[in-house]
Amino acid sequence: MNHFEALKVHEFSVTSQIVEAVLREAEKHNAKKVVEVHLDIGKLTFLGLEQVRFSYEVLVKGTIMEGSKLYIHEKDGTVKCSSCGYEGGFKYEDDPTYHIPTPTLHCPKCGETVEIVTGRECTIRDVKLLIEEGGKTNAD
Amino acid sequence: MKDVVKAEKGEIFDIELDIDILEANRRLATENKEFLKKNGVKAIDVMGAIGSGKTSLIEKLVQNLKGKYRMAALKGDLTTTIDAELIARHGVTVVPINTGKECHLDANLVKKALRRINLKNIDLLFIENVGNLICPAEFPLGSDKRIVVISVTEGPYMVVKHPFIFMDADVVVINKVDLAKAMGVDAKKLEKDVKAINPKAKVVATNCRSGDGITSVVEALEL
Repeated sequence: MNHFEALKVHEFSVTSQIVEAVLREAEKHNAKKVVEVHLDIGKLTFLGLEQVRFSYEVLVKGTIMEGSKLYIHEKDGTVKCSSCGYEGGFKYEDDPTYHIPTPTLHCPKCGETVEIVTGRECTIRDVKLLIEEGGKTNAD
Repeated sequence: MKDVVKAEKGEIFDIELDIDILEANRRLATENKEFLKKNGVKAIDVMGAIGSGKTSLIEKLVQNLKGKYRMAALKGDLTTTIDAELIARHGVTVVPINTGKECHLDANLVKKALRRINLKNIDLLFIENVGNLICPAEFPLGSDKRIVVISVTEGPYMVVKHPFIFMDADVVVINKVDLAKAMGVDAKKLEKDVKAINPKAKVVATNCRSGDGITSVVEALEL
């Protein structure tokens, strides 16, 4: 996949927002380099992790993020059932047609329809920055 | 006041953050929803596979609901205004949105497009998303209801192959059912596949060329 093909996947636009947000944060702290970026990605997002990684590599080139390590932490989603009060993990469809377990909106306890609570996030959780000499953090 | 932290040369700082990238779109979507509500406009997001009949469905809905609602449409496509013109010939305002290379509409594009419509003159808005069964579901636009359109000509496995988008559907339209026999596809099985993932989705079989099933779609949308 070349740079322009990468533009066609929505991970590219999401990842470019990630990179922009990290660069803004790095600037705020007068960082010289970004060393690590930790992302939490919910399993209910439509983000392909490989595509996120690929877009990241393309986007950080020539910035202080170049060479930084990207850690992606996948997060299970949770649901809430208004019928029986269940709150917790999904009921998964165990049809063998699905090679990956597919979450459903059936309550695992009573079978009624549940609402999604978490699993849709794509959050920058943590960044590690190399701070310039004499630099200071303006975080608070 | 907190102490100002000075870093030594070469020191690595660990900064904890909580920046949700998708949250920005969700916030804009909520703004769109409130803006539409304030203007008394109901919005329907029509998502679905390429060539499944999203535009035909909107055309038939517009014909069916003329007289009951004053309507407009936003029409997303990578390029061209071909489909936008198809809808516009029914006498409704259509704002084409060309996404270039993006595979979905997002709340910001919808916000921009909404400025081009006098919302005082309408009470129902269709937003036709880019043909795609994956990414559009990631980006809520601020609509009241979301439709997912598939058709039997795409084969029997469209639901099981793209399960996630159906979690976001209020109504699922299975189109071109007149061709089901020729295609060897069982529309009932597709319906069962939808219900397995999302029991609250209403499933309607249609033929958007003849108009069969359109009144059921109107009922399912509670219009």
